[in-house]
Amino acid sequence: MSDKNQEGKRSARERMLEERAEQEARAKRKKKLVVGGAVVAVIAAAVVIGVVVQNQRSKPETPTAAPAGTIGDKNLIIPVGAANAPSTLTVYEDPRCPACGAFERTFSPTIDQLEDAGKVFVNYHIVSFIDRSLGGNGSKYGANALGCAQNAGHFRDYHDVLYRNQPGETEDTFGTKQTLIDLGKQVPGLDNAEFRSCVDTNRFGGWVSAVQQDFDKSGFKSTPTVLLNGQPIYPKKGDEQISTDNLVKWVDEANQGKQLGTPGSHGQSPAPTSTAAEPNTSPTP
Amino acid sequence: MASQQAEHDRVSGFRRVVDGPAAEWFGLAARLGLAVVWGWAGLAKVADPAEAAQAVRAYEILPESLVKPVGWGLPFLELALAVLLVLGLGTRVVAVISAALLLLFIAGISSVWARGISIDCGCFGGGGAVSDSQTKYVQEILRDTGFLLLSAWLIFRPRTKLSVDAWLAA
Repeated sequence: MSDKNQEGKRSARERMLEERAEQEARAKRKKKLVVGGAVVAVIAAAVVIGVVVQNQRSKPETPTAAPAGTIGDKNLIIPVGAANAPSTLTVYEDPRCPACGAFERTFSPTIDQLEDAGKVFVNYHIVSFIDRSLGGNGSKYGANALGCAQNAGHFRDYHDVLYRNQPGETEDTFGTKQTLIDLGKQVPGLDNAEFRSCVDTNRFGGWVSAVQQDFDKSGFKSTPTVLLNGQPIYPKKGDEQISTDNLVKWVDEANQGKQLGTPGSHGQSPAPTSTAAEPNTSPTP
Repeated sequence: MASQQAEHDRVSGFRRVVDGPAAEWFGLAARLGLAVVWGWAGLAKVADPAEAAQAVRAYEILPESLVKPVGWGLPFLELALAVLLVLGLGTRVVAVISAALLLLFIAGISSVWARGISIDCGCFGGGGAVSDSQTKYVQEILRDTGFLLLSAWLIFRPRTKLSVDAWLAA
């Protein structure tokens, strides 16, 4: 009987201990669940807040202000030459891209001549992605300054001046607004208070971002990307390497039997009479 | 009781190292190391939303509708992980999420590599297309694997020194 009693007591005590242990385990589990839940909630909240904040911070894909005379459905394109020219040359360039500099120093006299002859309508997309990989603001500020020059009707000349004075890719010379303003002095009629303030206040910064976002989505991966009537011609058109002679030949071939365009003046100086390229002093890609 | 005692006696030197205070100090180092990685990665991607979106788009994996939410949300996920790791709050949960994220990154980089696309992984800002000679897929994968090992340690040994977890458990 006493045995039985003791057995009963012991089991009661055991049961009590077991219960307590179970309670403790349950409390521990609950604590873990609360902590885990809180952690997941914090992370989820951070992500949601992040998406909302970045959505507000990001510049719209359709710019609120674009330079005068820009074309395309979002006014992202700077046109040069006759809109009714039979061929269209599309150029994607970054102000800091050395390959673009080399392309411009070699081809800009030829392209200027083709424009002035009404043979090509050139569509420039001034992109600005080099800043992303190398840091700095030279691509963005340079693109904005080109927008300012377009706004003032001096895009072509300022564009040529900028590329002739292009620094090495890793130097962020164009990241200094004063440099861009000073280069404007080389273009007759451009250096005025309007242009200076436009460059200084980064007036077309939103437009620059929109042009870049459009390039991001285009699927083109490098600059310069050059298309003649939609077909890539840089560095090669099919098997043929691009050269000033080939460029003229390709354009003439495409224009065969078609009426040439009637270029108006965009405040730019006339094309040089020689197709001789600038000496290519900058490092090539 | 007796069997527990016997097991206790069989504890090897290795177990003592893995479970002892030295391990908790190592855990602290792993936690803070990983926190620096996530903090740096997150901060580098916050400045320019368009750049962050393009880094995601360049992988050519996600549909366009998801590119921006992922590009914009990811850095904040990374920053949240960094803060939680510094605090040592919910270390195991955070380590599991870290490891899952790193596995996703490694899978993404491998996929890009296998498809012959040339990009910068955009792991610490930047990102987007680069020329073929400038890809660093091996280094990027090895680096992420190192971070994955730190996360794995914290999954299996989430108890670390100077953590909110330890304070809550006390």
